Amino acid sequence: MSKSDDNDPNRKKSTQDSLESQPHHLAGHTYDGIDELDNALPRWWINLFYITIVFSLGYFSYYVMGDGPTLVREWEIDRGEQEIAQLSKPAGLKSVTEDELKLVLKDSTRKLAGQAIYQSKCISCHGAHGEGGIGPNLTDDHWIHGGKMTNLVKMVTVGVLDKGMPPWGTILKQNEIHSVVAYVKSLRGTHPAGAKAPQGDLVEQ
Amino acid sequence: MSAEQSGSSTAVETPASGVMERFSYDDRIVRQFILATLVWGFVALLLGVFIASQLADWRLNFGISWLTFGRMRPLHTNAAVFAFAGNGIFAGIYYSMQRLLKTRMYSDLLSKIHFWGWQAIIVSAAITLPLGFTIGKEYAELEWPISIAITVIWVVFAVNFFQTIFKRRERHIYVAIWFYIATVITVALLHIINTIQVPVSLWKSYPIYAGVQDALVQWWYGHNAVAFVLTTPFLGLMYYFLPKAAEKPVYSYRLSIIHFWSLVFIYIWAGPHHLLYTALPDWAQTLGMVFSIMLWAPSWGGMINGLLTLRGAWHRVRTEPILKFFVAGLTFYGMATFEGPLLSIKSVSGIAHYTDWIIAHVHGGTLGWNGFIIFAMVYWMVPRLWKTELYSVRLANVHFWTGFLGTLVYIISMWVAGITQGLMWRAVDGTGRLVYPDFLETVLKIVPLYYVRAIGGGLYLVGFVIMLYNIYKTVRSAPADLKDDVVSAPRLTRNTIENLGKTPHRMLEGLPVVFSVLTLVAVGVGTMIEIVPTFLAADYVEANPLLKPYTGLQLHGRDLYVREGCYLCHSQMIRPIPSETLRYGEYSRAQESMYDRPFQWGSKRTGPDLARVGGKYPDLWHYRHMMDPREVSPGSIMPAYPWMYRDKTDFAIIQKKLKVMKSLGVPYTEVEVRFAEQQAREEAKLIADQLVAQGAPKGTEEKEIIALIAYLQRMGQDFKKGLIQ
Ligand code: HEC
Ligand code: HEC
Repeated sequence: MSKSDDNDPNRKKSTQDSLESQPHHLAGHTYDGIDELDNALPRWWINLFYITIVFSLGYFSYYVMGDGPTLVREWEIDRGEQEIAQLSKPAGLKSVTEDELKLVLKDSTRKLAGQAIYQSKCISCHGAHGEGGIGPNLTDDHWIHGGKMTNLVKMVTVGVLDKGMPPWGTILKQNEIHSVVAYVKSLRGTHPAGAKAPQGDLVEQ
Repeated sequence: MSAEQSGSSTAVETPASGVMERFSYDDRIVRQFILATLVWGFVALLLGVFIASQLADWRLNFGISWLTFGRMRPLHTNAAVFAFAGNGIFAGIYYSMQRLLKTRMYSDLLSKIHFWGWQAIIVSAAITLPLGFTIGKEYAELEWPISIAITVIWVVFAVNFFQTIFKRRERHIYVAIWFYIATVITVALLHIINTIQVPVSLWKSYPIYAGVQDALVQWWYGHNAVAFVLTTPFLGLMYYFLPKAAEKPVYSYRLSIIHFWSLVFIYIWAGPHHLLYTALPDWAQTLGMVFSIMLWAPSWGGMINGLLTLRGAWHRVRTEPILKFFVAGLTFYGMATFEGPLLSIKSVSGIAHYTDWIIAHVHGGTLGWNGFIIFAMVYWMVPRLWKTELYSVRLANVHFWTGFLGTLVYIISMWVAGITQGLMWRAVDGTGRLVYPDFLETVLKIVPLYYVRAIGGGLYLVGFVIMLYNIYKTVRSAPADLKDDVVSAPRLTRNTIENLGKTPHRMLEGLPVVFSVLTLVAVGVGTMIEIVPTFLAADYVEANPLLKPYTGLQLHGRDLYVREGCYLCHSQMIRPIPSETLRYGEYSRAQESMYDRPFQWGSKRTGPDLARVGGKYPDLWHYRHMMDPREVSPGSIMPAYPWMYRDKTDFAIIQKKLKVMKSLGVPYTEVEVRFAEQQAREEAKLIADQLVAQGAPKGTEEKEIIALIAYLQRMGQDFKKGLIQ
C-alpha cells in the first residue's frame, strides 16, 4: 500500500531536480481545492509502529501462549509477601494486660487520641457521646461481650461482623485500639441524652 | 462492481471529460446542524460544570431525584458525545462531503429526517435520563425505545450518505470520506450489538448479555464509541477543514493510507483495556492491552499528517484563531493517544483505573481535541454559510485562550487527584497494613481538586459563551437572502481501468462499495475474535448450580441501583491487587456476576467498591446512610436519597421482571415466578421489621429503600458463604 504512485513519472523528476526536495502535488489528487503531497512516511514514526508490534507479539506470546504468570498468580505471590510482613510484625497479636490498659486510661494524651479516633470511626454507630444507635450504648455498665478492658480490646480488634460491629484490627494500629478503648471506658456513667437501653449483662466493677 | 455502475447510472457514454452539470449544495442543513451544535454544546458543558460542582459540594444534589449526580452524569456524557459532538460531526460531514464529492446530498428529505430525528432523540434523552430511565451501561444509557429510534435515524443517515457517494461527480473518494465511511458503518454495528435488550415495560429492559459477557460487549462498544464517534469522524473533518483553513496541501497521501487502515483495524480490538484486572479471562485482557499499544503510531499518524500540513503556515497560527484551535486540538489528540496506550499497560492501569486520572484522559480528548476541532470548524464555516464576515477575530482569540487554559486546569487537577488517590489506595506499610484504610480519607484529600476542576470547566464554558456571542453577532450581520450557490462540474463517466488509477489503493478509492466492505471486514475481524468466544459461555463462566439468582426484591433493588446511577461512583469488581484485596476482600470472580443484567462493575470509584458490601453493615446503617450519608460517614460527598424513603416499591412489576429473566435463562422456578409479588412483599416485611427492632421508624416495608437494602445486603454473599471458589 505504501508504495502508491511509485510509477508516477513526475515523482522521479521532482526528487532529481529540486534542491529543496519539495515533493510535488499528486496529479489528480485535488478535492474541492485540497491537494495532496506524496511525502514519505516519517522514519521515526514507522519505526515506532514496528517497535510496538514487536513488543506486542512478544508480550502476547509470553503471557498468553508461553508460561508468563497470570494476574491472579502474580497476586498470590505479592499477597504471600504481604502476609509474611503481617506475621513478622504481628501488630494485632501481642497480648496486653488489664493493668497495662489501666495505665493508658490515666494518660490524658492517649485518651485525647482515643477521642479523635472515636469521633471519626465510631460515632456513626455508637453515637457522638457513646449513647448508642446502630450499636449498643457504651456508657452504661451492661456489656454484651464482657466489661473488662481486655474484652473491649478484643471486641474492637476482631468485631462481630454478623451483628454489624466491624473489625478494626486491620484498620487501626494496636496502640490506637488501646487509646480508643480507654476513651470508651472513660465515658462510663456519663448518662448522655438519648441513651439506648442497656444490652447484655450487668458487669460489676 | 454493479453498485458502482448504479452510482453513475445516469451517466450516458460520454467523452472522458463528461457533460457539465449545474447544481447547488444543501447548505441549509449544515446551518441547522451548526445551530444545534451550539445549543447542545452549551447544555453539555453547563451540565459538566454542574456535576463537577456536585462532586465538590454534595449539597448541589439538592435532594431532588432528577437533579442528583447519578442521573445528571449520563445526561452530561450523552449530551457531550451525541448532541454536541454528534451534531458537530454531522454539520462538518454534510458540508464537506457535498463539496468533496461535487454533488448535493442525495435527498434533502432524508437530511431533514436525520436532523429532526436526531434532535428528537436528544430531547427524549434529556427527559428520560433525569427520570432514571436507563439501561445502566455507560454511553449506552438510553432505554430501548430511544435506542431503536437511534438505529432508525442512523440508517436514514447511512442511506443518504451512501447514495450521495454513489451520485458523486468526483471519481475518487478523498481521505476524509474514508473516515466518514468507517464511522457510518462501525457506529451502526456497535450500537446494534451492544443494545440488544429485552423489554420489561416501556421504560425498563434487560440486556441479553450478563456479567462478564455484558462487560466485554459494553466496553467493546464504549471504547469504540470513542474511536468511531470521537476519533474517526474528527480525523475526517480535520482532513477537510485543516488544509482548507491553512490553504496548504495535505502532507502525505501515503501516511493517510497507512494510518487510516491501521487505525480502523486496530482500534476495534482495544476495548478490554477498560477491563484489566477484572474477571475477564486473561487472554482477552492481554489482547486489549497489546492492541492499545499498537494503536499509538496509527493515532499519531493523523496528528503528524495534520501538523505537517501546516508547514509554511506556522506564522499564521499566531494571528488566526482557527489555526490555533487546529494546532492545539491536534496536540491534545496526540497527548491523549499517547496517554491511552500508556494507561492500557496493566501495571499502569492498576494505579490509574477507577481514579480521576481516567477523567483527565477523557477530557484531554473531548475538551482539547473534539471541542477545539468543532470550534475551528464552526469559525471557518459560519462566515461562509451565512455569507458574511466573522464578527470579531479578537473574541475568537479570547475564546481560544480561555478554552485552552480551562482545559489545562481541568486535566492537570484531575491528573493530580487521580494519581494521589491511586497511590493512597495502594499504600501499605511495613506491617502489611493499609496506610489509608478509611476510604473516605482518600476522597476528602482530593475534594479541593474537585473545586479546581469545576473552575477549569467553568473557564471552558465561558470561552464557549464568548463564541456563542461572536457567532450570534456574525449571523445577525448575514444578508437576508441565503440562496445556495450554483456550481458546476462534469458528470462522472464510467469507471475504466485507465481512469481508476494505477495503484491498487487508488483504484479502491474509485470503488466506494468495495472500500466500505473492506472497512467492515477490518472492524469485523477484531470484533469476531473477541466477542464470539463469550457466547461459548462455558469457557468464560462455569455454570454453578449452587448459585441462586437474586430474589425478586433484590432484583428490584438492583434496578433501583441502576436507576440512581450508583455505578457512576461505585465499582463492583475487586481486582487481584494485594492492597485491594486487603481493603475489600478476595478478588471478584466471574461467577459472582453471572446473573447481572446489566453488569455493574463500574469504571470509577468516587466511593468504595461495593462487590462485597453485603453483611458489612447492619441494615440500619444503610437505612441511615442512604437517608443522609454524612450521618454515618462525616464529610462524605455521596448524595442523599430521601425520595427512596417516600416512594413506594412497584411490587407488581417484579413478576414481569422474573419472567423476562427466566426467558433469558436465569434459573427461576415456576413457583418463584408465580408468587414473585407475594414473596417480595414478605421479604420486604422481614427487613422492615428488623429495621424497626434496630430503631428505625415503622411502616417502611413498601418503600423503595427496603428493596435497595435487600440488594446491598446480598452483594458478595455467595462468595462469603463459600458457594464460589
Ligand atoms: C457499623 C456500625 C459500628 C461501628 C462503626 C462501630 N461499632 Fe462497635 N458495635 C456495633 C454493633 C452493632 C455492636 C454490637 C455487637 C453485638 O451485638 O455483638 C458493637 C459493639 C461494640 C462494643 C461491645 C459492646 C458490648 O456491649 O459488648 C464495643 C466496645 C464497640 N462496639 C466499640 C466500638 C468502637 C471503639 C468503634 C470505633 C472504632 C466502633 N465500635 C465502631 C456497631 C458498630
Ligand atoms: C457522587 C458519588 C456517589 C454516588 C452517586 C453514590 N455514592 Fe455511595 N459512596 C460514595 C462515597 C464517597 C462513599 C464513601 C463515604 C460514605 O460512606 O458515604 C460512599 C459509600 C457508600 C457505601 C458504603 C460502602 C462501604 O463499604 O463503606 C454504600 C453502601 C454506598 N455508598 C451505596 C451507594 C448507593 C446504593 C448509591 C446509589 C443509590 C450510591 N452509593 C451512590 C459516593 C457515591
